[in-house]
Amino acid sequence: MAISFVFVVTDSRFSQQELPACKFIVTPTVVISTFVAIAIVFIPLGLASLFASDNVVEIVHRYDDLCLPESSTAVQHIQSKDSNKTCAAKLAVSKAMKGPIFIYYQLDNFYQNHRRYVKSRSDKQLKYKADADDTDSCSPEATTDKGPIVPCGLVAWSLFNDTYKFVVQNKVVDVNKKNIAWESDRNHKFGSDVYPQNFQSGGLIGGAKLETSKPLSEQEDLIVWMRTAALPTFRKLYGRIEGDLQVNDNIEVVVENNYNTYSFGGKKWLILSTTSWIGGKNEFIGIAYLTIGGLCLFLAITFILIYVLRPRQLGDPSYLSWNKQSPMP
Amino acid sequence: MKRYVYINDDESPTQDLYCDNRISNRKYTVWNFLPKNLWEQFSRFMNQYFLLIACLQLWSLITPVNPASTWGPLIFIFAVSASKEAWDDYNRFLSDKKANEKEVWIVKHGLKKPSRAQDVRVGDIVWLRENDEVPCDLVVLGTSDPQGLCYIEGVIECPNPDKDIRRFDANLRLFPPFIDNDVCPLTIKNTVLQSCYLRNTEWACGVAVYTGNETKLGMSRGIPEPKLTAMDAMIDKLTGAIFVFQLVVVVVLGIAGNVWKDTEARKVSLDLVKSLYAKFIDWDVEMFDQETGSSSHAANTAISEDLGQVEYIMTDKTGTLTENKMVFRRCCISGTFYGNESGDALKDVRLQNAVASGSPDVIRFLTVMAICNTVIPVQSKNGNVLYKAQSQDEEALVQAAAKLHMVLFSKSGNLLEIRFNASAIKYEVLDILEFTSDRKRMSVVVRDTRDDKIFLLSKGADEAILPCASAGQQTRTLNEAADQYAQLGLRTLCLAWRELKEDEYQEWSLMFREASSTLVDREWRIAEVCQRLEHDLEVLGVTAIEDRLQDGVPETIEMLRRAGINFWMLTGDKQNTAIQIALSCNFISPEPKGQLLLIDGKTEDEVCRSLERVLLTMRITSSEPKDVAFVVDGWALEIALKNHRKDFTELAILSRTAICCRVTPSQKAQLVELLKSCDYRTLAIGDGGNDVRMIQQADIGVGISGREGLQAARAADYSIGKFRFLKRLILVHGRYSYNRTAFLSQYSFYKSLLICFIQIFFSFISGVSGTSLFNSVSLMAYNVFYTSIPVLVSVLDKDLSEKTVMQHPQILFYCQAGRLLNPSTFAGWFGRSLFHAIVVFIISINAFAYEKSEMEEVAMVALSGCIWLQAFVVIIETNSFTVLQHLAIWGNLIGFYIINWIVSTIPSSGMYTIMFRLCSQPSYWITIFLIVGAGMGPILAIKYFRYTYTPSKINTLQQAERLGGPILSLGNIDPQQRSMEKEVAALSITQPKSRNSVYEPLLSESPSGTRRSFGSAAPFEFFQSQASRLSSSYSRNCKDN
Repeated sequence: MAISFVFVVTDSRFSQQELPACKFIVTPTVVISTFVAIAIVFIPLGLASLFASDNVVEIVHRYDDLCLPESSTAVQHIQSKDSNKTCAAKLAVSKAMKGPIFIYYQLDNFYQNHRRYVKSRSDKQLKYKADADDTDSCSPEATTDKGPIVPCGLVAWSLFNDTYKFVVQNKVVDVNKKNIAWESDRNHKFGSDVYPQNFQSGGLIGGAKLETSKPLSEQEDLIVWMRTAALPTFRKLYGRIEGDLQVNDNIEVVVENNYNTYSFGGKKWLILSTTSWIGGKNEFIGIAYLTIGGLCLFLAITFILIYVLRPRQLGDPSYLSWNKQSPMP
Repeated sequence: MKRYVYINDDESPTQDLYCDNRISNRKYTVWNFLPKNLWEQFSRFMNQYFLLIACLQLWSLITPVNPASTWGPLIFIFAVSASKEAWDDYNRFLSDKKANEKEVWIVKHGLKKPSRAQDVRVGDIVWLRENDEVPCDLVVLGTSDPQGLCYIEGVIECPNPDKDIRRFDANLRLFPPFIDNDVCPLTIKNTVLQSCYLRNTEWACGVAVYTGNETKLGMSRGIPEPKLTAMDAMIDKLTGAIFVFQLVVVVVLGIAGNVWKDTEARKVSLDLVKSLYAKFIDWDVEMFDQETGSSSHAANTAISEDLGQVEYIMTDKTGTLTENKMVFRRCCISGTFYGNESGDALKDVRLQNAVASGSPDVIRFLTVMAICNTVIPVQSKNGNVLYKAQSQDEEALVQAAAKLHMVLFSKSGNLLEIRFNASAIKYEVLDILEFTSDRKRMSVVVRDTRDDKIFLLSKGADEAILPCASAGQQTRTLNEAADQYAQLGLRTLCLAWRELKEDEYQEWSLMFREASSTLVDREWRIAEVCQRLEHDLEVLGVTAIEDRLQDGVPETIEMLRRAGINFWMLTGDKQNTAIQIALSCNFISPEPKGQLLLIDGKTEDEVCRSLERVLLTMRITSSEPKDVAFVVDGWALEIALKNHRKDFTELAILSRTAICCRVTPSQKAQLVELLKSCDYRTLAIGDGGNDVRMIQQADIGVGISGREGLQAARAADYSIGKFRFLKRLILVHGRYSYNRTAFLSQYSFYKSLLICFIQIFFSFISGVSGTSLFNSVSLMAYNVFYTSIPVLVSVLDKDLSEKTVMQHPQILFYCQAGRLLNPSTFAGWFGRSLFHAIVVFIISINAFAYEKSEMEEVAMVALSGCIWLQAFVVIIETNSFTVLQHLAIWGNLIGFYIINWIVSTIPSSGMYTIMFRLCSQPSYWITIFLIVGAGMGPILAIKYFRYTYTPSKINTLQQAERLGGPILSLGNIDPQQRSMEKEVAALSITQPKSRNSVYEPLLSESPSGTRRSFGSAAPFEFFQSQASRLSSSYSRNCKDN
């Protein structure tokens, strides 16, 4: 409002409501050219996005169902300490993949955005050593007999704990797990002097255990996991393969299938993917752009046709009801 | 209960009985401020609801957002309105303090002592100088006039304090050794009331009778009931609907939405823009009255948009439509008409000759003109005589008499002197029988000092004087004269006299004195006693005074009638005068287009029959292209309102025009009340004290700061200098305010529903657990900054230029019928917010899916999408862009990014680095671009299609205006200025025939050029009147919904 006060003082045109104004009306020319312009911009952008998405090479492998023994039920199997959870799979590279190749795990039907779940964490505790007791929000995973749980809360407790090993063309490939979390999180959200305490020591084990000797700021899997997803289907970065993969390379994956998604019917995937300027493989943007662009083109053509077939003079006074028979529409 | 005031008596037992003179207008004290203010705020339903929500949010188990984000704005908004109250109260305290500590002089034991105003006690004698403000209600004991005064002791017996400022019936009894227990009557005339200023006398002395908050002013002061505009009522209804919707959502999905916070924010921003509307009215140079140097003023800042929805205007006549500058024009003395040829009796040679030759009838006539009044002559330094008069009519008469050499020269005490030619004649004024609106006449009793004869001189309305004429006198000529003058729109007064016998007067005088000192029903008793003297009068003649129409009145009325506003004229004048004025200012149309229906009758039955007849005619003609108006006088109106209210109400709804003559102030208010009860928006406009009640009663009260003082202007919501400013007030300010508020309020719903819908959609993918997608800070900023600022500058938006609106006043129909804010437009905005929510939600979650589905990022993408969309919505809904709008819209978008970048640099915030990360990704920008395209494309297409192929009248005019096309001149306002002068000259040819058909010959002829041109636009008029009938039924339907 400060601006307007200046105007009040300096420019009486404001007070008389007579500020110079540009008025805009939706004439056929303006509207039709707007729609044509939108179409001209949107269709190429859509094509570019589709092209970029198409160039992304993605290997998707669902394994939650494949890694189950036939002998016992899924939940029993996954909860049993003794059962062998290793499971192997073979993946084929259909198209050359240029490094770095991102390794994601994808979970489905997992509501990381559930209100009780989202809130069950303590950002203070993660950052500051002195705030280890700040566990009020972490229920039900707040404390044990031995003291506060660090990191507390359901989010940390449910940390994903499947692991993958990759053998390409019979050679073990290193998975780079450094810098998979956001740098800002490592430096500012998770303390370098905060160490796990009493973690996963209760009766019910939720997920992965943490090395007690490593500060939280170096527990990158945890940091990635703690960035909660907005959707019930989400991917999280597991690591990177720095080298390239060639066409028809055989990838042998050894999966430690530890994480229990069976009790809530969740699915698990392993994804290897390259990236492009729009990110991972996502055809939605390209299709949406093409749809909107096409729609605008259609509208523009329709409006032109209507304009030609049923011309109508703008601002014709005979449309004013008080000059016509029917008083009001 | 009576109050005894012992004058100047320190030991009197009553001293402590009455309060001191400390006035207090304060609403609060330091101690009760907080509880009282909170109580007031929470007594409003909305606030209770908000408090309930806020309390629920304290329960962390069920709340999706941080309670601080709820309590913060709540406390802020409460604090804002509490501090506003506190500031107002503090200012009241300061002004009270200033008034209380003002120095006054109190006379004690013969000495003047300075004192503070607050220390004045009942019974003290207060001494005032000229231009002093009166500290409390005083009974005046003396002034600087030569009569002088000394200390007296006595008692004033007066009623307990009340708020009627026109009545003070008290008695004064002086204690010995003065006059023996003689009771002396006191009336309101003997008092000066608090907060008046002492004028025209060097000093004055008075006894305090009412002090502090018990003064007449203090008792009548009250906080007027706040007025609620039709629009506010509609908005509240829609808000209620939204709350119900929200409650359903809460029950079904378990998430407490976000809308309520916005409702409060909307209230704040609405208050802001409303006060700006009011400022625009104050600032408008086109509504600045050059003549008096006063600008228009909006005293009530909250009801500007109601101006755009006015359906009925109730207008006073004198001083409102006319200038209230009275000029003596014609007279009829003993059957001879003067001034008929020239239009000015003063220039009539025959009259001048009659005066010169000393015709006794004429001399007597002039004597009554000069004496029978309450005018005070003042000798100026250069020897001229100036007149101070309360009544404009009396002044005109005295001025005219002076021009005819009968000069009212001086008045001192009971003695007055008139000079005729060179001779001075002195009269002693014995009694004044004052004018009241019931009696409609006033008289004076004077004694001619030359021969000690006593005369009763009377003047008044013809129907009040002629029945009192002596039996032998022929009053037919006088009746005809009065009728003829009235037809010319002149104000008539009959002058009469009678010589009184000494003993008759003495006998009557005793009764009069007694009546004057009664405490109960004094006014009625006096009227009764006066009646006993005012009979067998010899009627001398009739005077005719012209009251010119104000500039631009006919054009204003015609324009506003074309805008679909119905006009009612409520006047105290007589019927024929009112009809003539109505004709001359386009109020009613002449025959054959117009038709006047009279409701009259002497008895109840006659009135009833007449009313039924008129109603029947009205029902039949309502489908005909005729301008039908009904005319009713005060007496018939009283019966109609009392016994036939239903019929009269129907008549009021059917009739576009009505003339109510001889109505009292309370009847004016009753009529306003009647129309209000039919759910019409009424505007009352007037200039005098007798209009105050109607002005306060109406939805909108407009006062003309005219010659009758500022009473009406003070009581009104708007005060303007001239009647013609009314068209600008309604068509420009009212219409713009309505349009702007309509947009602003619906937009507010749109943007909060947008967020609300997104939250609801998000709840479907978050296990219906009630997680908030947006963080608390963003939600708060969304309501307070991002979406409020662009829309606030919509107060500068103009859909049509002022010129176009003035050319096509019919466009006001859209405001009157509530076309821009009603459930169906609201449904449009509701649909738009739903559509936009879907667009934003679907695109955000799909574009930022899988590895990008981080919560904070998705939230920020969705929020950015909302901000961009709402910026474009404001753009597409704005009709005219000024610099400020560009600044606000684009500045706000930039501001959004700056604010979020700043928040993104704070490590402890949840949004740390988020905005930087997003802005560096091409996919973010491409997503936003997609949201804007998908969200606005269909909106633009629909708008274009409707705008081009099913345009509203507003759209058509916009197109015509901006394409510079031929703006239609059909029905343009005829710029021709019409003066009363011409009208009179043209009309005076016609002679009256009989009393019952007086208006007919006038109506059948349409001599003025304007009317002829008006006639040619008949078909146009027809449809317009139909349209308005439709409009009124439409708006009624709307209100029923």
